[in-house]
Amino acid sequence: MSVLTTLPHTERSGFAASLPDRADGLCLLGLGGFMAALARSNLYWYFLNPKFSHLTMAAGVILCVAGLALVLAPRAGRASLGRLLRQAALLIFLALAAASWWQAAQEPAHGAFDPAPEADAVPTPEPEAPVDLHPMKNGTSYMRLNLAELYIMLDKKRKDYPPHFALRAQVLRTPELNARGLVLLRRTAVVCCLADSLELRFFASGVDGTLSGVQSGEWVEIFGHLEPLTASLVEPMTTSQGGPQTGTGPVTKNQAKPAPKADKAALKELLQLAPKGEPPSLAFNNPGFRIQAESVERIKEPAFPYLFEFREKEPFAW
Amino acid sequence: MDQSAFAIFSAIVTSIVLEAAPFLLLGSLLSAVLAVYVGDGALARLARRGLGAQIGLGLVAGLVLPTCECGVVPVTRRLLRKGVPPGAAISFMLAAPVVNPVCLAATWVAFQGDWRMVAWRAALVMVPAAAVAWILGSAKGGELLRPALDMAGGDTAHAAGGACGCGHDHGSHARPAPLQGLLDVLRLTGREFLDMALFLIIGALAAGLFKTYMPQEWLGLVSTKLWLAVPAMMLLAVLISICSEADAFVAASLSMFPRPALLAFLALGPMLDLKLLPAFLTVFKRRPALVVILVPALAVFALTMSLGLSGVLQ
Repeated sequence: MSVLTTLPHTERSGFAASLPDRADGLCLLGLGGFMAALARSNLYWYFLNPKFSHLTMAAGVILCVAGLALVLAPRAGRASLGRLLRQAALLIFLALAAASWWQAAQEPAHGAFDPAPEADAVPTPEPEAPVDLHPMKNGTSYMRLNLAELYIMLDKKRKDYPPHFALRAQVLRTPELNARGLVLLRRTAVVCCLADSLELRFFASGVDGTLSGVQSGEWVEIFGHLEPLTASLVEPMTTSQGGPQTGTGPVTKNQAKPAPKADKAALKELLQLAPKGEPPSLAFNNPGFRIQAESVERIKEPAFPYLFEFREKEPFAW
Repeated sequence: MDQSAFAIFSAIVTSIVLEAAPFLLLGSLLSAVLAVYVGDGALARLARRGLGAQIGLGLVAGLVLPTCECGVVPVTRRLLRKGVPPGAAISFMLAAPVVNPVCLAATWVAFQGDWRMVAWRAALVMVPAAAVAWILGSAKGGELLRPALDMAGGDTAHAAGGACGCGHDHGSHARPAPLQGLLDVLRLTGREFLDMALFLIIGALAAGLFKTYMPQEWLGLVSTKLWLAVPAMMLLAVLISICSEADAFVAASLSMFPRPALLAFLALGPMLDLKLLPAFLTVFKRRPALVVILVPALAVFALTMSLGLSGVLQ
């Protein structure tokens, strides 16, 4: 016999009348608990920019308190179709969100993904760890910044981008790009949440075959400089040209200029060689510049493969 | 939907709902506080002012009541039920997600301190908002709101006047005892949140489907012609349903589009997207809902096309 049928009539009807409120409260507790738990988890970045984790936590706690108020001090009310509908919608969302969290947790441990042989892999500096923001390579000083910061500087037509820089990126190869001695370097930038993420890309080529051994999907730290995208890159290299196409040599500060208008058609063709972007991010290839890699180091996938911070000046977020 | 597409879809839906939830909660909390602690007379006094003053007040109210579009509908519904004239409430609802310090600052940062983009964005939101408020301004709150939205029923009646269907809160507004008042605010916040979360979830599901299957090539195809770019960016704003605090950064990255198209994206998204559409259709009766949906879309299209064709903005 159920609890309901054992209650006296008035008490039972009072309890039954309070059930819709209690169900609302349980829904709020479920959502609030989920938000609070996700805000505390190490997979929060998979959905939102980590800088919002405190906001999510606070909202989760307030939802739980509001839910408790409905569960513990309900008012009599009627169950309606609309009310059931919103409870069902919230439960469906919670199921979807839990599945998504589970899916994120099933992916290879972030930071553990290591496509490079152990001996070649360079330990990835942790975001909190102090890093040398001006590493030296072969007598050249490089400025560390992240790919989105460089992209934004160029997008804003700023002239004070560093002449030599170091940045981390994932390599993307296709047969068409290989034939032209090019690769794509990409990072995903997230301002608020996954829905507004952008995949920012640069074409890149390597000096003396610097990039030739790097496989698609590998993470690298590139030490290099900017050169303009030129129409000549559209033509596939002949066999006699051998390895990857090299640039015109390092440029001094602010020498790199966007391609002239006459080359625009050829450049459009070059941009179309880039593989199309895949959801959830919109993909953008830098239309004016390519990165000429002077040195490349394989690294592990960063703990946060997305970029969440974009600074306009030194020290850059890297 | 294959497993990979489902994973992307569910991650997008989750991220949109979780991003919007705190702001929706803030709007619900504000609405509940208004319901429990603010008497009808305090806000209804606005009705004594002329329509122009009501609209002007509503347009700039976001500067002191910052909110994004995720939380503005429950606040507006409550304001209307409290007797705030539609001229003020509707202009607030459409303008506040943009005409607020956070959104204006984000636009300024995203467009490299370009004040013209900030000013044009505010103007392109305020003009349609004022137009909609002017059209609906002579109505009474009860003529605009559907009575049936209060799915939970009675608590509003107990705490702050009943949901009798006329569109106004009724009942005494004697200040409740502190603990009772807090309990009423919490219960009402929870119910308001659940009322509006339904539409947020529906919108997020639709936006998730769109983002998962959107062919990205079309962005490049439509970016070169103004007459294609403006409606394409308006459609994009509606379909991807990004919060008004973040959309400027996405717009700034779409630099291949002409500026009038970017402004169309920035102006329309906070007034109309897949989260707001079901909310408008459920909160407002059919005619006012159609006005709230169609007038901003038509006005933004006409204004941005004019700016582009006249050469004021390139």
